[in-house]
Amino acid sequence: MNHDELEESVPLYAVGALERTERQALEAHLLSGCPSCHASLKEYQSVAAILPFGLMQNSAPRPLKAKIMAARGPLPAAQDAGLKQGARPSLEPGEWMNHLFPPEAPTRPVWLLPALGIAAFLLAGGALYLAWTYYGQLTQDTTKFEQLQTALHQNTVKITALQREIKERNQTLTQVREELNRRTNDMADLKDVLIQREAELDDLRAQVETMAQRRGRPPQEEFVALLRAPGAKVVSLTGLEMAKEAGAVLVYDANVRKGWLYAYNMPSLSGGKVYQLWIVDDRPISAGIFTVDSGRKGRLLIRNLPDMSRTRQFAVSVEPAGGRPQPTGAIYLLGQL
Amino acid sequence: MSSRHAPSIIDPQLLARVAKGDHQAFAQLYDQSSPLLYTLALRILGNREEAADVLQEVYLEIWRKIARYDVGRGTPVAWLVTLTRSRAIDRLRSRVPRTPAAPLDSPSAGRIPDLGPGPFESRADQELRDAVGKALSNLPPAQQQAIEMAYYDGMSHSEIAARLNQPLGTVKTRIKLGMSKLRDALRPCWENGDPS
Repeated sequence: MNHDELEESVPLYAVGALERTERQALEAHLLSGCPSCHASLKEYQSVAAILPFGLMQNSAPRPLKAKIMAARGPLPAAQDAGLKQGARPSLEPGEWMNHLFPPEAPTRPVWLLPALGIAAFLLAGGALYLAWTYYGQLTQDTTKFEQLQTALHQNTVKITALQREIKERNQTLTQVREELNRRTNDMADLKDVLIQREAELDDLRAQVETMAQRRGRPPQEEFVALLRAPGAKVVSLTGLEMAKEAGAVLVYDANVRKGWLYAYNMPSLSGGKVYQLWIVDDRPISAGIFTVDSGRKGRLLIRNLPDMSRTRQFAVSVEPAGGRPQPTGAIYLLGQL
Repeated sequence: MSSRHAPSIIDPQLLARVAKGDHQAFAQLYDQSSPLLYTLALRILGNREEAADVLQEVYLEIWRKIARYDVGRGTPVAWLVTLTRSRAIDRLRSRVPRTPAAPLDSPSAGRIPDLGPGPFESRADQELRDAVGKALSNLPPAQQQAIEMAYYDGMSHSEIAARLNQPLGTVKTRIKLGMSKLRDALRPCWENGDPS
């Protein structure tokens, strides 16, 4: 508490409204001898002392006086010298008024002179006693003041440490916020990259699908699709003189212009020769070449059949490697529509 | 009652005689001060028996510790009032659980000053009582209430704020303003008659 705060607390002190710590702080300040606070307190203490005069007066119970008079013990010998002028202040709890005034020159009532006369023979001893008492009191007050100063210093150090800690935490908080912002920005960037990659992936998928459509289905799928097609037709080809055990089945759909030939028990060929399928109307048209596997089976997918409105026969001949525009070799298989 | 017996103007020489063991002086001090001190104790404690106990304790303490009274530090009545208030507040705080001493509007509390002269009241006391009563009645009720809760109920500003459900700063301001007004209004009382 600074001086203004202490001085403002004087009226609360006089009326007994301060908390313990506030009261102790003000008492320490008063003991330091602040003249303005002493003057202020003297006035407010005067107000407090006459407040009970505003109450409606009551008389004490009648027997109380006799009870008190009877209960008194012998007067302490120390009091024989009469009232102590400027005696040391009482610092008992609650007796706040007793130490309100600085050790200034006490008033000297008229009756003091005879009292001093009575006490004259004790002057030397009394002076020593008073000096010792004042010294003890001053020591106590100084100790108390130093304790308060020490406590104030400790509290100041604590507050400084707390302020430093708050500052450090604020810095840490700022760093964390910056890191969080940076991470958030990174995440936004990654999200953009991801969106871009997904778009590229979609493009690639579209390209793959386009290419797949361009390349067409695998032969097996084409065969299955042909079998399921409602307009599909099946033609059997039988072996002729050169391959009596051989045979073949041709499945085709004129609407999609696709066909599938499956030949079996076909003689193995040598010298690079191949089998060639012919679609015969007015003249034979090549539908493709094929070879046979070790099981003497051959397969041919026809992707682009010619117009078959006038087709009458299907034939398979043996041709040199790569096939020929017109049949040149022996006919091994023949089928009629 | 003559002004010789007014508690507001107790002669310090009377205390000096008490300090010497003068029984008659002690009896006179009791007669002169006990109505005021009993009224104060009764206002704080709200109980006649407890007020009488405190009063007995106070007068016995006066008898034992009269030498501690320092005339340079305040008038006799101020010392007696302070001592009585301290002992009564101590008694009040020793109660468990702590409750208000008496309703503020209780007749026994004597909150409302009786501005009419008492039958055994001195002129000096009557003038002082009028001045205090007028000064208190001129205060805003909230300021008067806060001061009385502190002075008569022994409550700190924090306790008053909690009891009235008011901010602490408001209570402090009420007490400071109220005491300041009382000081300005009552300053002539101690400047002329110096009751403190």
